[in-house]
Amino acid sequence: MTDIVIAAYRRSPFHFAHKGALQKLRPDEMAAQVVRALVEQTGVDPETIEDLVLGCAFPEGEQGLNVARLVGFLAGLPEGVAGATVNRFCGSSMQSVHQAAGAIKLGAGEAFLCAGVESMSRVPMMGFNPMPHPGLAERYPQAYMSMGETAENVARRHQVTRADQEAFAVESHKRAAAAQAEGRLRDEIAPVTVGSTTVAEDGCIRADASPEGLAALKPAFRQDGTVTAGTSSPLTDGAAALLVCTAEYAKRHGLEPLAKIRAVAVAGCAPEVMGMGPVGASQKALARAGIAARDLDVVELNEAFASQALACMRELGLDEAKVNLDGGAIALGHPLGATGARIVGKAAQLLKREGGRYALASQCIGGGQGIATVLEAV
Amino acid sequence: MGTTTGAPMIETEARAITAPAGKAAQGAGPIRKVGVIGAGVMGAGIAAHCANAGVPVVLLDIVPGGAARAVQAMLKAEPAPFMHKGAARLVTPGDLGSQAALLADCDWIVEAIVERLDAKRELYATLDAVRKPGSILSSNTSTIPLAALTEGAGFARDFLITHFFNPPRYMRLLEVVQGPETRPEAVAAITEFADRALGKTVIPCKDRPGFIANRIGGLWMQSAMNHAVDLRLSVEEADAVMGAPLGIPKTGVFGLLDLVGLDLMPHVAASMKASLPAEDAYVLGLREHALVTRLIAEGRTGRKGGKGGFYTRAKDAEGNSLKRAIDLWTGEDRASEKPALESLEAGRRDLRKLVEHPDRGGRYARAVLLDTLAYAIGLVPEVADSIESVDAAMRLGYNWRWGPFELADRLGPAWLAAALREAGRPVPPLLERLGEGSFYRTEAGRLQAFGLDGAYHDVERPEGVLLLADVKRRSQPLARNGGASLWDIGDGVACLEFHTKMNALDPDVLGMIGKAVAMGTKGGFRALVIHNEGENFSVGANIGLALFAANIAAWGEIEGMVEQGQKAMRALRNAPFPVVGAPSGMALGGGCEVLLHCDAIEAHAETYMGLVEAGVGLVPAWGGCTAMLRRWSEAPKLPRGPMPPVAKAFEMISTAQVAKSAFEARELMLLRPTDGITMNRDRLLAGAKARALALAEGYKPPEARPLRLPGASGRAALAMAVEQQAALGRATPHDIVVCGELAKALTGGRRDPTEETAEEEVLKLERQSFMALLRTPATLARVEHMLETGRPLRN
Repeated sequence: MTDIVIAAYRRSPFHFAHKGALQKLRPDEMAAQVVRALVEQTGVDPETIEDLVLGCAFPEGEQGLNVARLVGFLAGLPEGVAGATVNRFCGSSMQSVHQAAGAIKLGAGEAFLCAGVESMSRVPMMGFNPMPHPGLAERYPQAYMSMGETAENVARRHQVTRADQEAFAVESHKRAAAAQAEGRLRDEIAPVTVGSTTVAEDGCIRADASPEGLAALKPAFRQDGTVTAGTSSPLTDGAAALLVCTAEYAKRHGLEPLAKIRAVAVAGCAPEVMGMGPVGASQKALARAGIAARDLDVVELNEAFASQALACMRELGLDEAKVNLDGGAIALGHPLGATGARIVGKAAQLLKREGGRYALASQCIGGGQGIATVLEAV
Repeated sequence: MGTTTGAPMIETEARAITAPAGKAAQGAGPIRKVGVIGAGVMGAGIAAHCANAGVPVVLLDIVPGGAARAVQAMLKAEPAPFMHKGAARLVTPGDLGSQAALLADCDWIVEAIVERLDAKRELYATLDAVRKPGSILSSNTSTIPLAALTEGAGFARDFLITHFFNPPRYMRLLEVVQGPETRPEAVAAITEFADRALGKTVIPCKDRPGFIANRIGGLWMQSAMNHAVDLRLSVEEADAVMGAPLGIPKTGVFGLLDLVGLDLMPHVAASMKASLPAEDAYVLGLREHALVTRLIAEGRTGRKGGKGGFYTRAKDAEGNSLKRAIDLWTGEDRASEKPALESLEAGRRDLRKLVEHPDRGGRYARAVLLDTLAYAIGLVPEVADSIESVDAAMRLGYNWRWGPFELADRLGPAWLAAALREAGRPVPPLLERLGEGSFYRTEAGRLQAFGLDGAYHDVERPEGVLLLADVKRRSQPLARNGGASLWDIGDGVACLEFHTKMNALDPDVLGMIGKAVAMGTKGGFRALVIHNEGENFSVGANIGLALFAANIAAWGEIEGMVEQGQKAMRALRNAPFPVVGAPSGMALGGGCEVLLHCDAIEAHAETYMGLVEAGVGLVPAWGGCTAMLRRWSEAPKLPRGPMPPVAKAFEMISTAQVAKSAFEARELMLLRPTDGITMNRDRLLAGAKARALALAEGYKPPEARPLRLPGASGRAALAMAVEQQAALGRATPHDIVVCGELAKALTGGRRDPTEETAEEEVLKLERQSFMALLRTPATLARVEHMLETGRPLRN
C-alpha cells in the first residue's frame, strides 16, 4: 500500500485580527497567495493536482461561497483542479488533510492541496448572521456555548490554576520568540503582500510576555474566572497550505517529504468542555497507529486556551518538552480555519528537524470535538 | 485667566458643516488650515476644536513630543475636547524648535504659550519668518495688551487677540481685540470662521486688561470673596446666594475658585494691579486673604491638585465620600452643611426680595451685586461699546444666566442707582442717564438696548441668525398649551417648541404634535421645524407620570399613553409636509424618538442623543426600536442578512448608549448621513428652516416599508450575547430581563425570517415589551431611583 505524505508546508504570517498587518487583506486573496507560494516552492505541475480542499470555520462574506474554488482561480491553478471548502470549525484544515488522505486511499487522486484560511478581522466569529436554533439553545445551551466559557469549565473541572495557565502562556511566547529570533519560522512562512507592503513576520508573538504582566489581566469570560486574554489564543488572521500526496508522486516530482500520515481520528466530547476534544481523538489515532503517547517525539497540540492545552497534556500524559517546540497558538495566533494545516505541517517539519519517529497533531473543536493526526518519519 | 465655570458642559456651541467651513469673508482668504503654538490646556483645546470644525491643524509645542502627548491625552480626557475620535486625525502635532516650517501654509496661527511678553515677542519673530503672506496671527493672551504685543512689529496689520475660554470646545465666548493697525479683513475672516466653523459668539473688545469677561468676572469673584469673609458667611451660604438667585452656575464663587485653581488668584491680582490704574475698583478691592495664601502654600489649590480647596472630600468609617468645607474665619475644615437662610427662600423668585432681606445672605447679595453691577456698568464704553456685548460675554464666558445689565434690569436700575447713592457710592454715568428706564426694552416686538447716546437701539443679530426668542417677542403663537407651542417662523414654516420642565414629553406635548400635524395638513404651513432654546431639546418622556400611573395600576391608561406617543410619532413621519428636528443639548429617550421620526435633522454639534430607556428598565416604545431597525437596515456598510441591523440596534439600545456629540450621533445612525450639523447654536434654527424649505419642494412623505427580521433564532443569539456579559458581571439580573424584552421587539417576536414584518407589528411588540417591563418591580425601582437621584439603578 502506498504511503501518504506531507510533501510541503507553507503558511502566511499570523497577525492579530482588527489591528494586525493582515486586517486589510481579503481572506481569499491571502489563501491564494499562500497556495501559490506552496505550488511554486514544490515546482510541481499544478495540472497533476486533483483538488484544493480548504478549511474555513466561518465560510461567509469574503471567505464565503465555495471559497476553495475561488482561491484556485486567484492562485492561478488550472481550471481542471477542483476545489472544496471544508468546515469543522477549528479542525477544518486538519479535516482537509484527512479527506485528502482518505481520497488517496480510495484511489481518488494522488496529489491534493490541503489548505485553510480565516480572516477574523473581516468575518466575525459566529458570522454576520448568528441564528441559533431557539429550541436547541433552550434545551441544550452548551451546543452554542462560548469558547471562553468552555475554557473556564475545563480549568475548573481539571483544576488548572490561573498561575499554571499563565506560566504555560509565557512559555509559549518564549518558545515562539526564540524560534522567530533564530529564524526557525522562516521556512514555513510565505510572505504575503497587502497593498504595496510585504508582510513576512508573525505579528502576535510577545517576547516580553511575563507572569507579572499576565497576572494583571482581568478575566475575559467570567467575572470570577481564571481565563484571561493572555491565556487564550488571540483572534488572528492567517492562512496555511500543505501538499498531501502519495510517496510515489513526491518521488516522481523530486520532492522530499516531511512525514507520512500514519493514522487519523476524530471524536466528539461534551460541548461544555470542548477543549478536552484532543484526548479522545488522540487516543483513537494513537491506537490506530499502534503506538502510545510515550512513543511520540513531537507533538503539536493547538493552544486554543492554556487551560485546555494543559488539561489535555495531563490527560494524555504528554511530555511538555515535546509539545509545541516553537510555541503554540497562544503566542502565534489561531486563525481558526488555518490552524489544522499549520499544526500538521509544523509537526511534519519538526519531526524531520528533530529527527524523531512519531509526531502527533491534535486540536479541540467548538461544539465538542477533537481531531488528531499521527505522523511518522519518512 | 481662561475660565471654566461649574455649569454642566451641556449647553454649548457649534457650526454649519453644511456650509463650507470658514467660508471666506469678503476681502479675506478663508481659513483652511490653522496653526496653534503651545500644547497646554488652552492651545491643545483650541487645536482640537478647530479639528472638530473639520479643519486641519498643526499643533506645535516647545517641549519635544509635548504636542503629540497632548493629543493622546485629549483622546482620553473628560469632558472630551474632541467631538469624535476621527477629529484627532486632523491634528498634526510637532515640535516648535524643528518643525516651525509646518506653519508655512496655515491661514491662521494662534499663539497660546506662557503669559510672558518677551517669550511671546520672540515667538512672533519666528512665526513671522515662516508664515505665508496675508496669514493671520493671533494671541490667546488673557492679560497682555495688544499694544505691547505688537509694539514696533511689522506683523501688526495681521495681528489680533483671540481670547478663548476654557474648555474651548464647550465655552461659546470668543473675545476679539483688534489694534489700530489690524486689517479689517483679518478681523472679518476670524469672526466669520469663529462664528460659523467654531460656533463661537465673537465679542469685540477694547484693548483693556482682562478684556470684558475676566475683568468683570474677576471683580465679581474678588467682591464675593471679600464680602463673604466680612459678613461671616459660610462658603456653602455664599455659593448658594451667588448661584441660583443670581443665575450663576451652582459652583457659586468658592466652588468656581476650586475649579479654576486657587493658585491663579495671586497671578490674576498681580496682573490686574500692574495694568489697571490705582483708583480702579478692581485694584482698590484687592486683598490678600491669609486663608488663601495658606491653602496655596499647602498645595490645596482646588480640584486639579486632588487635595481640594475650599471644599474637600473625605471618607467616613464606612468608606462613603463626604463633602467638607473650610470655615472662612477659623480656617478649619468641617462637614459641609446645607445653607438655611431665609433670604434664599425669599429671593427664590424675586432678586429684589433677596437683596432687601436683612439677613446676612441678603446683605451679601446686595453688597456683591452693588460692587459688580456698578463696576460693569461703569466699564461701558471702556471695554466695549454696547451693553449687550458685556452681557453676552458674561453669559457665554462665565455661564451666567443673565449679564450685569440684565441683572440690573431684574433689580430695577432706579433701585440700583438709589442703593448706590444710599451707600455713598458714585452712580455710573450710564446708569444715571438711564433714569427710570431699563437697559433693555421690547419695542414693536423687537429687543432694544440702551445705547451710549442715551437712545435705544435694536439689538442686532449677526446675518443669518434666527432666534426663537426673537420670534416669540414679536408674535403670538399659532397654538399653545401647557407643554408646547407652535410658532410661525416665516416663509410658511412653523416651529414646534417644547416648554415643559426639562422639556420632558407629556400628553400636552403629544397633543401639540397632533395639533401641529393637523394644522399643517390643512395647509397652515409648508414645513415644520421642531426646536426649542432650552438647555436640552428634551430629556424624554415624563417617567414620573408613568410611575404614578403604575403605582395605581392604571395599566390601561399607561398603554394608552404609549399608543398616543406612537401615533404622534407616526403622524410626524407621515405628515404631508416635511418635518425637521433641530436639537441642541440632550435629546434622550422619547426626545430622541421625536427626532428619529423627522424627515431630516439639523443638529447642533453639541447634541447628546440616545435611546436610554434601558437605564430605567424599559424599552423605547414610541417607535424608537422600529426606527433604529430601519436606519441600520438601510446602512450601506452593514453586511446583509437579518441579524446585523438587529445586533446594532440591540447593542446601542440595551446599553443606553448616548452619543456625546452630533458627530457621534452620526456614527450611531441616530443622524443619517444626509442630516446636517451646525456648530453655532444661534444658527441652528435658521439652518433647520432652510433645510425644511428645501424639502418642501415636491415633498412626499416616506412610504412605509416592511422589515426583514430574524425572529426567535435572532433572539436566541442575542440572549447568548447577554449571558456572556452577565458572566463577566457586566449585565445585572434585571438587565437580562430588559434585554430579553428588547430582543423580542427587535427580532420581530415569533416572525419567521422568510416573512416580512410590518412596522405596525414591531410597534406592537415595542408596546408589549414596554408594558411587560413596567409591571416588574425591578423596573419600577429603576424609575423611582432615577426620579429621586437622577442616576440609573443597577439592579
